[in-house]
Amino acid sequence: MARTVKRWLVLLAAVSLLLVNAVPAAASPAPYESYNYNYWKEAVPSPDAYLPERTISGRDLGISEFKDPGDVNVSPSGLIYILDSGNSRIVVLDPGFKLLRVIDGFMMEGTTETFNLPGGLFVDEEERIYVADTGNSRVVVLDGEGTLIQTITKPESDILSTQFQFQPLKLTVDHVGRVYVVAQGVYEGIMQFDESGKFIGYVGTNKVERDYGEYIWRMLSTKAQRAQMVLFVPTEFSNADIDHKGFVYATNIDPGSNEPIKRLNPSGEDVLKRFGYYDVKGDIRFRNNPGPSKLIDVKVLGDGMYSVLDATQNRVFTYDDEGHLLYIYGGKGNQVGTLKTPVAIEQSGEHHLVLDRGKNNLVVYEPTRFGARVNEAVALHYRGEDTEAVNIWREVLKLNANYDIAYIGIGKSLLMEKKNEEALGYFELGMDRKSYSVAFKRHRREMMKEHFGTFLTAAIALIVILILTRVAVKWRRRRQVDREAGFH
Amino acid sequence: MKQDFIKFPLHLIFHPIDAFWDLKSDNRGRLLVAFAALALTIVMMILQKQYAGFLVNYIDPRTINSIIEIATVAVPFFLWCTANWAVTTLMEGEGKFREIVLATGYSLIPIILIYAPMILISRFMVQEETAFYYLFNSIAFFWFVLLLFIGMMTVHQYTVIRTIITMVLTLIVMGIIVFLGALVFSMLQQLYEFGYNIYRELIFRT
Repeated sequence: MARTVKRWLVLLAAVSLLLVNAVPAAASPAPYESYNYNYWKEAVPSPDAYLPERTISGRDLGISEFKDPGDVNVSPSGLIYILDSGNSRIVVLDPGFKLLRVIDGFMMEGTTETFNLPGGLFVDEEERIYVADTGNSRVVVLDGEGTLIQTITKPESDILSTQFQFQPLKLTVDHVGRVYVVAQGVYEGIMQFDESGKFIGYVGTNKVERDYGEYIWRMLSTKAQRAQMVLFVPTEFSNADIDHKGFVYATNIDPGSNEPIKRLNPSGEDVLKRFGYYDVKGDIRFRNNPGPSKLIDVKVLGDGMYSVLDATQNRVFTYDDEGHLLYIYGGKGNQVGTLKTPVAIEQSGEHHLVLDRGKNNLVVYEPTRFGARVNEAVALHYRGEDTEAVNIWREVLKLNANYDIAYIGIGKSLLMEKKNEEALGYFELGMDRKSYSVAFKRHRREMMKEHFGTFLTAAIALIVILILTRVAVKWRRRRQVDREAGFH
Repeated sequence: MKQDFIKFPLHLIFHPIDAFWDLKSDNRGRLLVAFAALALTIVMMILQKQYAGFLVNYIDPRTINSIIEIATVAVPFFLWCTANWAVTTLMEGEGKFREIVLATGYSLIPIILIYAPMILISRFMVQEETAFYYLFNSIAFFWFVLLLFIGMMTVHQYTVIRTIITMVLTLIVMGIIVFLGALVFSMLQQLYEFGYNIYRELIFRT
């Protein structure tokens, strides 16, 4: 008997071991852990918004491997342009990631010219390719077939010093053909050229962050010591992109800055909305090592959303137009979907593309149900169609009940429909005090209107009763006094 | 009963100079009232964190802990009384320890009286009106400080300047007591560990 039991137990143990191994340990197919920040600035787990779908390397396309690719851009017609800096060529793919052509040089004044370590490229609506040809100190403008249209060389201007080296790194172009160039060693802002290549001026300067400790230290130092100290100059921009309204989004990698992303209006002022719980700056909680996010690329996604690429933790942060952090994906590593040295982020249809210089490939990310729903709801909200957005927000909440933006979204729609009391609960869940106040004010006024009559009746009745009791007490007391005096 | 527990405390907060003198010379203060005031202040602090309106309540509900709340009010209270007694004994203060406790306890009454309605009203406030909430809370605090000041001055029969000096000194002494306390605590812990190690050595060696 005991033996049979023992045998059974052994068998059970073996089977349970097998069963444990049969179920995959990780529920998420992503090689990274997605998270988001809550109101209390804690990183809380979140469903994955984007999952890696595939990677594209030079060999996959049937050409030689990429070498230190520098930038990727998707033209408005959907063609994908990869700037393969190390091989001095531009690889053009169709929306289905099939190779269309390779541009590795162009004809200029009868001779064949090549690129020299180009840093960035941009393609406009008319399929014109703008290349920041860093090594050759020029910006090259080609048409879609690779024929030269014009070059922008070192600008002649009174405000530039004679030793000025023009080394364009990244660029973007607005719909009238003005070129915005982020150049190396230029901390006055983004260089702006008109459509004929003439230098107009700088837009959007980064401000120097005041460091009072350093300031006091400087006051106490001698002149010789001061001469040895580092200069406080504004940081350079790291990248730029443009939205359909012509506002330039720019990033800088200043580690101390709380505003590393800027949205510049035509006069160069920063007009990015920052209405979220915390600064728009990538990771808000980090240990000293590896430190704050280093934002090296920004991509305007449309409907007010934009993604930024963080080179510290190799993650992508996406925000809506009000500055709410929508989702985070990506991470460091060697698997498909994690990144080694990301340099550029792009959008192709629903997909996000991240160019990895370290692994010499392009990673294609695909939205999950959660990510797609969030995008959809944010877009509807941006277009003012809040009522339609509500159902999608509710679906988002089923996928992630900690999604504060969804609560706020539902609350705002309820507010629009004058369901103030219901909206209150949603705003409280979303910790949106400003909207809560608006909803509460309306709710309070409604309640006052409705119950003012009742309230007044009760108050008057109370006053009458009080007076009557007073009179009664007085009357009784007088009676007693009278009685004692013997009047009755 | 009503005289001692309701009328006199209410009279005190509006006429502190008179009333603190009565409290000292006519022996009208009740320790029970002082401790009740302390207890109610703690209750108000807890209630405020838990029940103040959403628009003024920035406390993470997960961090509310009543034990810590009790400690953050009661410990400074007794520390203040002890430190003040220690300082004023050396500085010719006429107050007894009991009188110091009474004066400090009675001074807390405005906090209770203002906090209680403000917690309720804050639940019906909108963003623009929250300024009043903060205003009244500051009034409660400054009223408390003023009462404490007059109380100390009357109880110890000090001049204004001397009262300010002793109050500042009291704060410094409070810091010293905390420091010494931490020191003694850490030494005791090391002593205990030392004893425990010897005990262990003896046990395992035999």
